[in-house]
Amino acid sequence: MKPNAHAILFWLFSALAVGGSLITITRRNLVSAVMWLVATFMAIAALYAFLFAHFLAVIQVLVYAGAIMVLFVFVVMILNKDEEEPWALRGLIGKSLAIAGLGYLLFRLGGVLWRAPGKIPQKALMEPDFGSTQAMGRLLFSDYLFPFEAISIVLLIAVVGALVLAHPGHPNVDEEPGH
Amino acid sequence: MASILWNISVGHFLALGAVLFAIGVVGALLRRNALIVLMSVELMLNAANLTLLAFARQRGDMHGQGLAMMVIALAAAEAAVGLAIVVSVFRSTRHANIDRLTSLKH
Repeated sequence: MKPNAHAILFWLFSALAVGGSLITITRRNLVSAVMWLVATFMAIAALYAFLFAHFLAVIQVLVYAGAIMVLFVFVVMILNKDEEEPWALRGLIGKSLAIAGLGYLLFRLGGVLWRAPGKIPQKALMEPDFGSTQAMGRLLFSDYLFPFEAISIVLLIAVVGALVLAHPGHPNVDEEPGH
Repeated sequence: MASILWNISVGHFLALGAVLFAIGVVGALLRRNALIVLMSVELMLNAANLTLLAFARQRGDMHGQGLAMMVIALAAAEAAVGLAIVVSVFRSTRHANIDRLTSLKH
């Protein structure tokens, strides 16, 4: 099998996703962690497009890289404080457990890759509109009609709950003296 | 070896999803900042979505994509409520260090 553009782009975006997420969880500075997480989500959106989930790739960019990350940046603005000691891993036992877990994970990953089906099915074998906005809309308004409506109620409750929790006059929050 | 490198299969996407999920678990377990923990949870949800879409692609079945859509919507709701809790905790304790939030401990 010769090097091809598909494989090169896959490795490029997966390297960006893995590298970006590793940088995200190791940063002390919260703003750079959020920015690297945005890069990670963009790479994952590109990988969604590889899997013929074009609509979901666009939704991923809009919802994650747009809405959720803006929310994170606003909270970082409120919380702007570096940690004194960011990592909780201490001692020989914790480190050896971590290394054992990592070894097991790599072993299982190798197994998955080794036994993976050689080729993913070509686009021609599927329905021609697989993953398109039209097919997605048909799915959401037929088989997924109840979850689709239920999730709108969940989102409404989440918005109200977030407002109640974050409101300064919340009764369960102890106000500082003289405030 | 070259075949694994250049012949991208569903297994590659599954392995990538597993790696991203593992990174998310490490971040959620080891970091002390509540915001980084929330970001790690988002990362884990994305890794699960990648796995769903890989299987949807392999089977040519749109239902995996419908489920992934629901996961994205729930992740947005979870992020909104989680961040509101972080803001609320920060208001009352002036920090967001989850190791120091022990008031529910007996």
